[in-house]
Amino acid sequence: MSFLAFFFIVASLLSFVVAQIVVKRAMEFSASHGFRSSQFISLMIIGIFLMTISFFLTLGLLQRFDLSYLYPFQGLSVIMITVMAAVLLKEKLNLQLTIGSLLITVGIVLVSLS
Amino acid sequence: MRRDDGGLKKRMQNRTSGFGNPWLQLALSVICVFVSELLLKRGATDVAEPDSGWSWTGVNGLASPLVWWAILLIIASFISWLYVLRYIPLTIAFPLSRVVDILVPLGCWIFLGETISTLRWCGIALVVLGLALVAKPVAQIEERL
Repeated sequence: MSFLAFFFIVASLLSFVVAQIVVKRAMEFSASHGFRSSQFISLMIIGIFLMTISFFLTLGLLQRFDLSYLYPFQGLSVIMITVMAAVLLKEKLNLQLTIGSLLITVGIVLVSLS
Repeated sequence: MRRDDGGLKKRMQNRTSGFGNPWLQLALSVICVFVSELLLKRGATDVAEPDSGWSWTGVNGLASPLVWWAILLIIASFISWLYVLRYIPLTIAFPLSRVVDILVPLGCWIFLGETISTLRWCGIALVVLGLALVAKPVAQIEERL
């Protein structure tokens, strides 16, 4: 894998993970402050912008690599989002959820490798 | 108990039933993502130009009608997903949404008659086990209500 491919895979993954956290935060705001609060609107715009970047980077990668090759990297998003949601959004994370997320990640990698 | 628990419980109690049920919306979101992934791969392959530097950005993928159908499904799944996020913590909703990662190989096995290797079955089993572990707190939340 070239450096360029690695860079775009990481960029696509990170923009996707951060977008999920930002959008979740926006929806939390909407629950308490309504859909018209400026914080909700700005967070949602940032989230959608990051998701759009991730979408186009993935589309570019799909033109070069097999879906099965790219899938293990997508699998990593499960554990990354679970940990980031616990740290940044202060969501409750117990051992069971952590082990569950890890098993899903390993399972996705195995499915892609086979 | 941390910040999210009280709010979550309250929102779960206020949630609407039927089509507004967040678990149903999560399932709809997963189905839309499942179909859109297959359409995106087909569409991106149809119009692939690996020699062009611009194709790294994926913008030339828009030339394929299949990619546009996929975009419509992604928008639909995003709307469902936003609804899900209002009610369910990300630590539970996101791992559950990855059920799509076993739907694709299972779909190939059931509908296309493709064979699944032992290693792949092991991977699927691990994902199912992980999903069961993640889903257990969900059952406890429902029970408390």
